[in-house]
Amino acid sequence: MLQYLVILLDDAAASFCHYSSAGRAPRPMPADVLRRGIRFAMTENLNVQFVYPAGEVPADVAALVESVDHVKIKPVGAPGPADVTVVDGFDGLPAEPAEGATYVLRTDRAALFARRGELAPVLARAARLNLVLTDVERFADADVAAYAETLDELAGLIAGQYAAGRAPQLNVLNDRLLLTQMNSCGAGETSLTLAPDGRFYVCPAFYLAPDATPVGSPDEGPAVPNAQLYRLDHAPLCRRCDAWQCRRCVWLNRQTTLEVNTPGREQCVAAHVEREASRRLALRLREAGIMLPGAQEIKKLDYLDPFDVRETW
Amino acid sequence: MSIKENDKGWQSGMAKNITFIVTKDCQLACKYCYLVGKNTMERMPWEVARQAIDYILDHEAEMKEESVVWDFIGGEPFLEIDLIDRICDYLKTEMFRRGHHWFNSYRFSFSTNGINYHEEKVQRFIEKNRSHLSIGITIDGTERKHDLNRVYKGSGRGSYQDVVRNIPLWLSQFPDAGTKVTISSADIPYIKESVLHLYSLGIREVNINCVFEDVWQEGDDRLFEQQLMELADAIIDGGLYEDYACSFFSERLGKPLDCVAQNQNWCGAGRMLAVDAEGNFYPCTRFAQYSLREKPALIIGNVRDGIDHNRLRPFLTLDRCTQSPRKCIDCEVAEGCAWCQGENYDAAATPTIFQRSTAICLMHKARVRANNYYWNRLFRKLELEDAREAYEKRKKETKNVTC
Amino acid sequence: MVKKLIGQITAGERDEIQRLYERRNGLNELAQIVTADNDALYEKLVADMGDTTTRFQAWWDKMAQKYAWESCEGGHWEINFDTCEIYLVGGDAL
Repeated sequence: MLQYLVILLDDAAASFCHYSSAGRAPRPMPADVLRRGIRFAMTENLNVQFVYPAGEVPADVAALVESVDHVKIKPVGAPGPADVTVVDGFDGLPAEPAEGATYVLRTDRAALFARRGELAPVLARAARLNLVLTDVERFADADVAAYAETLDELAGLIAGQYAAGRAPQLNVLNDRLLLTQMNSCGAGETSLTLAPDGRFYVCPAFYLAPDATPVGSPDEGPAVPNAQLYRLDHAPLCRRCDAWQCRRCVWLNRQTTLEVNTPGREQCVAAHVEREASRRLALRLREAGIMLPGAQEIKKLDYLDPFDVRETW
Repeated sequence: MSIKENDKGWQSGMAKNITFIVTKDCQLACKYCYLVGKNTMERMPWEVARQAIDYILDHEAEMKEESVVWDFIGGEPFLEIDLIDRICDYLKTEMFRRGHHWFNSYRFSFSTNGINYHEEKVQRFIEKNRSHLSIGITIDGTERKHDLNRVYKGSGRGSYQDVVRNIPLWLSQFPDAGTKVTISSADIPYIKESVLHLYSLGIREVNINCVFEDVWQEGDDRLFEQQLMELADAIIDGGLYEDYACSFFSERLGKPLDCVAQNQNWCGAGRMLAVDAEGNFYPCTRFAQYSLREKPALIIGNVRDGIDHNRLRPFLTLDRCTQSPRKCIDCEVAEGCAWCQGENYDAAATPTIFQRSTAICLMHKARVRANNYYWNRLFRKLELEDAREAYEKRKKETKNVTC
Repeated sequence: MVKKLIGQITAGERDEIQRLYERRNGLNELAQIVTADNDALYEKLVADMGDTTTRFQAWWDKMAQKYAWESCEGGHWEINFDTCEIYLVGGDAL
């Protein structure tokens, strides 16, 4: 069931996920499109997330944004307050992160492995940090050890914060501790994106793709063909998986396996490295006497890719 | 004492199927042919074939099936008999030289229109590889049924006479060979006479199936059911069930299926591998561009860069219920209802293999009704003759080949 | 020709002889295209043919002894790979 509407206020709106929006020419969403989008969201009881470009948005657009309850997703340095601040690469990290803020850091593997220590100030002040590996589709078996080591070091920082009485969240470590089921991004099922061209897309990545295929509009309503394939019960690998923090990115699925419901090996392996690091963080917190309300025990697995054990299903 | 072995029914279902699309040319222009992109230009160069073989044999650890079927299709494969002969010689030599486990268990398989079966080069090839060959000649039945669809390109002349002259030679070399018959809307009135005709030619196994494409007209299912019931009567009354088989009639057909215990995929796409003249790999030939009407080719790699295993993941995790609409999941006669993954992909609303085409639905249900009739009649007859037990011991099963 | 069922082997035993049977056929057909000027391959082939033939005959000898199969002058044994059944075919004693 649709619950969220992501509204791109500009063609050059920041990417807060795996896809890249770099190099897109600015094209603001026309006010009448935005108005129809907001009306649709209100009539369907949807939570609205506005995604901003780096610069100012037109005044009429800015005014319309305030006509509905919403979340603002902005690139770091964009004018005005943001609910979620997107940082593209380690060089963009603020010297003094805002207390209690939510950040998204888009980074490639090499930078994360090399500069992970720079995340300490963010974890010390922010309420939440979402790490997005922008090249996860190239995650190799050779990256497993480096990613595990990186996550263990970040887990140490988090454990230190817990000991100091703070409880920062790092998506790839903390989410799995508290989830009880798959928590996918929901693109195509619980979430759709309204683009500046006035049409719905499964997510911003599907809009920015060379073969962009719309799935309805605010006037016609959503029309997602083969909508069942975005649901967990129609994903043969994912529905049996318990790496619940995995974004299960349908865009990456489409890129790597040609099917929106089937992840490539790289996404599965990275998610299972995170799951295992979460398990070790849980043990570390327990040993330190820190109890997380609602935390479930995470079982140790002997595989990193559920595909490898499909014969045992 | 001497020793002899009987190897019919060789390794069915346990073998890796690897297909060389050696040519996209054919003498015929069959009206039901799914190969919409046939042409005279795309012939597999030897270098591509050699690279494909080297890649496949280099990756023995990824292809652990005990046996292999090296399949050659076209177009008409025997138009490229020189290339095929060279490929087979290289395969035999390389499997042996490398100590590959498939040297102990391989077949060369062909589906041919039979027109040049008698030619010297083809016969020399058969003689040379006799113990490793599986050759099927496609003949659709009586002359009028066969010539309804299987006509020469250009002239439109029927090909029956040119095929049937080669049947005795073929059966003398492969006495247990079966033929594959494809049924489209216009063929329905000729089903009974065609199957009986094939039996009369000495072909004991007729593998027959309806096309998966959406070609059916209103009322076709009733006509189809009528034809099958008449065929059932003829087989039973003539006692043909003792020595002949027709895949339309099966004891494993027409029951509901469970989404947990009976959830396996029907089609072997993805477990098979096909390579074309360009050196591209496909999960099955049906995903090559010349087989597709609406969708782009689904390429899973090539002979230079190898197989992209991510692109095989959907095929290898696909199950029956995930791709089926509710009506198929709830169907009371689901057992035995087939599908073609390639046709599903081609007919789907989006580029996916997870949307099952149901164009065959009414035809399957008609088949189930006729099948029920066949077995009820046959078993009653056998029981009245006190011959049921003896029949069960010696009954002939078909392989239920559908593509 | 008269054919008499004289025994039944296990699936494992069947797999063993089927592999040898397939290998022997493969070697025989390979022998038609490998010439003596390809030294290494030719030598390997000749050695393998000898070895496979020996193992093939040894299997029949071992099984005939194990199961005490009936035999006769002029007859031969046949195996059906599908059913694992052994038949005595032809000969005077049937």
